[in-house]
Amino acid sequence: MKRKMIAMAVSLVAFSGVAGAFDLGKALEDRVKQELEKKTQPAQTTEPAPADSTATKKIDTRQLGMTLLTGYSVEEEVRIGRQVAGNMLGAVPLVRDDKLQNYVNLVGNWVALQSGRSDISWHFGVLDTEDINAFAAPGGYIFVTKGLYRRLNNEAELAGVLAHEIAHVTQKHHLKVLRQSSVIGALGQAASKKAAGSDPVVQNLIGNGAEIMARGLDKNAEYEADRIGMVYAARSGYEPWGLPSVLQDLAGLPAKDSRTGLLYKTHPHPAERLAALGEAVDGRLDAVGGKDAASRFYRLK
Amino acid sequence: MKTFLIPAAVLALCAATASAWAASGTVLRAEKLYSQPAATSKVTASVAKGASVEILAKQGGWLRVKSGSSTGWIRLLSVRAGTGGLGGTGVGDVVGAATTKSDPSRVVAVAGLRGLNEEDLKQAKFNEAELARMEALTVTPAQARSFAAQSGLAVARVPDLPKPQAAQPASTWGTN
Repeated sequence: MKRKMIAMAVSLVAFSGVAGAFDLGKALEDRVKQELEKKTQPAQTTEPAPADSTATKKIDTRQLGMTLLTGYSVEEEVRIGRQVAGNMLGAVPLVRDDKLQNYVNLVGNWVALQSGRSDISWHFGVLDTEDINAFAAPGGYIFVTKGLYRRLNNEAELAGVLAHEIAHVTQKHHLKVLRQSSVIGALGQAASKKAAGSDPVVQNLIGNGAEIMARGLDKNAEYEADRIGMVYAARSGYEPWGLPSVLQDLAGLPAKDSRTGLLYKTHPHPAERLAALGEAVDGRLDAVGGKDAASRFYRLK
Repeated sequence: MKTFLIPAAVLALCAATASAWAASGTVLRAEKLYSQPAATSKVTASVAKGASVEILAKQGGWLRVKSGSSTGWIRLLSVRAGTGGLGGTGVGDVVGAATTKSDPSRVVAVAGLRGLNEEDLKQAKFNEAELARMEALTVTPAQARSFAAQSGLAVARVPDLPKPQAAQPASTWGTN
């Protein structure tokens, strides 16, 4: 029973970010501090770190909760994301159309502003491949393929696709997978390193190339990103039906289309996603209006 | 098998060029058909889970469908487009084909296009220049806000959607 109570308190703090309001809040904070200090200290140091080191001071309570949840600080998250994104771009470059890329960044950043995560800067890119897919790397690096983009009919659909990926980042889905399969603090020793190039410590953590993007997440993580994505898009003033409309379109594609091979390897079939969304949404969004912003939708050349 | 390939390719071409809504679909849950695209309008018929419908039009969160002799509006999320059936766990040809390991000898190259595969991503080498390009394209929150305002996009209050019942562990949380 006691263990259950502690678990409840921990999740409460982690999700609400009001550590100070609970008896266990202080204990939890200390625990996280220990965790962070362990990571910011060089491995060979045996002396305890000063409790008021600047590394622990600048982290706010919400971040404390999230660090406990995934084991990674924001800095580490961004390092992981940069490495995954750099590898992804090694597999496929960006479409050479700056107007397109700027447009997608504007839509993406507008939706990301409604996601509640302002501690990272968000980057969006259209990949030059006819494959139909979209990817999210930790730290706010988000990709949509040209193959998927050309199937979109309006800005609300683009917003819906990007919102699904943004939700993967805010829910830290990939970080949770890494957390489960790796050693806490593996990144700590080089945490302050600011290098533009490939990061061998992070590469060691994420495996080969960008394979983490091909492994896929738990089905429930995808359903969750669909639900949250619809809500983010709606909060951004778009009609909420963009993402479901894209799923409808994909559901109508032939099953063995080689452009959707990787998508279906890493996601439930669109029909299953529509059914799951249908259960969650029912009539709840009936009163939500919103725009599709179709008239300014950027068409591929 | 070969006779199947040509219609599949034709279908893909049609979907890409013409309206996607001259298509057949399958009802994903027991539903009502309404006379208008609104749940407050008159119910014209009921459709069973698994029923086939013809999708005639789309408007917001609604599809206008024909089911047998009835025509009416149904919620967008209660229908899947395409002929793959319900798409439940392992039910239906499309889902089976999509989720089982792909057999390279059976891969259909639609219009000569090839998708990304796991090996492509695994072999990928860090591209510093391309990442710098991506990071340089970043826009500021202020630019995003101004962009949204240009087409009248305004922040709306929309509550979170509930998690599915089955995934919710039985706990004292729900009662307080």
